[in-house]
Amino acid sequence: MTTPHVSAHAAIPDAQTVDDSFGDRLTEHISMHVALDGNVTIERETNLLLTGLVDSLGVMMIIEWIESDLGISINAGDVVLENFLTVEAMLDFVGTQ
Amino acid sequence: MTSTDDLRGYQVETLGELLDGPSMRARGVDVSADALTDGTTSLTWLEYIDRVGHLAGALAAAGVRRGDRVAVNLHKSAESFVAVHAVLRTGAVMVPLDPLAPPDLATELLVDSDAEVLVSDAAPDRLALLCERTLVRTVLSPAADDPNPSAAGSDITMVGRAQIASSTDCGLVAVDPDEAAYIIYTSGSTGRPKGIVHSHRSALAYATTAACVYGLDRDDRLANVAPLHFDQSTFELYAAPLAGSIVLVVPEPHLRFPASLSELIERERITVWYSVPYLLAQLSTRGVLDERDLSTLRWVLFGGEVFPPSQLAGLMRQLPGARFSNVYGPAEVNQCTIHNLPGPPTGDAAVPIGGAWPGAEIELVEPDDPHTAVPRGAPGVLIVRTPTMMTGYWHRPDLTSATIVERRTADGSTEHWYRTGDLAVERDGGDLEFLGRLDNQVKLRGYRIELEAIDVVLGDIDLLSAGTVILDVHEDGEDRLIALVVPRTAADRSDVDSQDAVSASVLAELRARLPRYAVPAEVRLVQSLPRTATGKIDRIAARELIDLPTSAQSSEPKTKLNGGPFT
Repeated sequence: MTTPHVSAHAAIPDAQTVDDSFGDRLTEHISMHVALDGNVTIERETNLLLTGLVDSLGVMMIIEWIESDLGISINAGDVVLENFLTVEAMLDFVGTQ
Repeated sequence: MTSTDDLRGYQVETLGELLDGPSMRARGVDVSADALTDGTTSLTWLEYIDRVGHLAGALAAAGVRRGDRVAVNLHKSAESFVAVHAVLRTGAVMVPLDPLAPPDLATELLVDSDAEVLVSDAAPDRLALLCERTLVRTVLSPAADDPNPSAAGSDITMVGRAQIASSTDCGLVAVDPDEAAYIIYTSGSTGRPKGIVHSHRSALAYATTAACVYGLDRDDRLANVAPLHFDQSTFELYAAPLAGSIVLVVPEPHLRFPASLSELIERERITVWYSVPYLLAQLSTRGVLDERDLSTLRWVLFGGEVFPPSQLAGLMRQLPGARFSNVYGPAEVNQCTIHNLPGPPTGDAAVPIGGAWPGAEIELVEPDDPHTAVPRGAPGVLIVRTPTMMTGYWHRPDLTSATIVERRTADGSTEHWYRTGDLAVERDGGDLEFLGRLDNQVKLRGYRIELEAIDVVLGDIDLLSAGTVILDVHEDGEDRLIALVVPRTAADRSDVDSQDAVSASVLAELRARLPRYAVPAEVRLVQSLPRTATGKIDRIAARELIDLPTSAQSSEPKTKLNGGPFT
C-alpha cells in the first residue's frame, strides 16, 4: 500500500529531522535492537512483518524509538499495518506527521 | 447453561468428515456459501472441499497412509486450514509445528513424531535444516509455484502447487474414532517436549460441545487468532465446519497492530472471537474501539491465562453488545469449565473459571492423593473426567500414567480422570477460582512454559556456572521472563563490556533452543544464586535478587527495575 494512513491531529516535527540520516538510524535501530533474527539484513524495503522478524513488542519498541527520536507523538489509530510494514513505509508515514 | 441434553447429534464420527462433501450435504450445509478467508484467499465450502481433496490426493501419492504422522509447518493462512483437513482426510495424524520455532526444536518434534511427510511454506534454508536430521522424505509446498527440486536436499522430493492441483482426491479414508487425529506438543519440565494426542472422538467431543454451548450456526463468522500449534485453534478448525460457520484466519501481522485488528473485525463482521486475554487487552487499550463498529460481535471467549479484572471490565464496557466467556482447560482436555460473565467485573477479585461445562465432571482433590476430595471451600488440585480428554502423551506411557488417575467406581468399572496440576478453590455460589500451579509451570500470552525447561537450557551454556528463570508479573498484563545467570569466569562478572557480551550470547543461545514465547525478555548477571538445603536453585529466593516479590502470583506493584546487582 502506498498511501499512509494519517490522522488529523499529528504534531509536526522539524522538517530537518526526517532526513536520510533518520532512515539510516531507524534501519540500524531495528537491525540491532528489534529484529528477532540477527542473520537477516534489513533494508528499507524489507517486509518486517510477514516473516515474524518483528513481534508485537518490537512494534512498540519501534514506535517508542521514533517518538523519542523525533519528539513526536503517534496516535494509536495510526499504528496500523500499512504504516509499519517496511522502513520505507515508516518514513512515508513519519513524513506526513 | 446448555445441558448435555441440548447437544445436537451432528452424526460426525471422525474429523475427516468435517470437510467431506457428502457428509457436509447430509448436515445440511449449503456448499456454495462462503467458508474460509484469510483476507487474501476466500473459499466457498465447495472450493474448500476441493482444495482439501487435491492436497489429500497429493499426500496419499507421497505415500501417506492411515495412522502416519504428517507435520504441518505453515504460517496462518487459508492454506494452513486446508492442509490440516487434507491430512485428516488421508487418515493420517496431523502434527502442527510452530513455523517460527528454532530449527533445532522443530527437528526434535519431527523426530519424536516420526513424520516422513511435511507440508511447509518454509524458506529453503530452514527446510533443509528440518529435513537433514529427520525422517522427512517428501515436502509439499502448496504455495510454491515451482519449488526448487533440491531445495530441501537432493534426496527430498518436493511437491509444489501445480502438482497438488493436478492430484486426484484419495477419498475419505475411514478410521476408527479412537485413533489418533492430531498431536499438539507442549513444553515438558525436563526440557523434552511432550506430544498431547487427541483422538477423533475427543476432538469431536470438544467441537460438538463448543458449537452447542456457544450456539454456532451458519451465520457466524469466527476469527481464528491462535496458530495451529496452539490448542485454541481447534475451535475454528473443527467446531466451525461442524456448525457450518465461516472462519477468518487472522493474518499474523494484524495481531501486532490492534488498530488494524479492530478494523479487520469490523470489515469482516466477526461474530465470535476466541483468544488469550493479552490480545484483548491490547485491543482495548490501543485498538481505537471508539472509532470502530464491532456490534456484530456476540461472543468473546478468552482463556489460556488470567484476565486482569480491571482490563476485562474496560473491554466489556467498550463492547456492550457482546457476551464474554472465560474458558478454562489445559490442552489435554481442550476445555472443561466455563464462566459466562454476568457483567463487567467490579473490584479486583479474580474472574472465576466457573463450573464444569456440559459433559465434564470436575473435582478438587488433595495434592498428594488424587482419590481424596478436599473439604468444600478448601483449595485443591483440579481433576477432570471428560469425553474431550486426550488419549495420552505420544510415546510417553510414563507421563501418561503419571497424569491420568484411574478410579474404581462402586459398580467395579474404571474411570479415567486427568490431573491438571492446577490449584483451584470453590467459592460461595459454586464457581471455581483458579489459584495457580502445583509446579513451576507458568502461562505467558496463553502459552504454557515450564520454567525448569529453560533452566535446563541455561545449565547447558558453557559461559555460565548457574542460571535460572523467573516470571515478572505486571499489573498491566505485560508479564516477562527474566533469566538470572552466574558467569563462569570472574572477569565476565566484573567487566561491563564483558557482561554485555555474556548477556548477548546467553540470549542468542536461548533463542536457538526455545520457542519464541519462552525466550526471556531479559538476561541479568548475578554473583550467585540462592540454593535450597538440597542444593537446588531456590527460584523463590532468587526473586529477591532483583527486588521482585517472592510470591509468583503476587499482583502487588513492583519496584521499578533499574540497574542490576552489578551496576
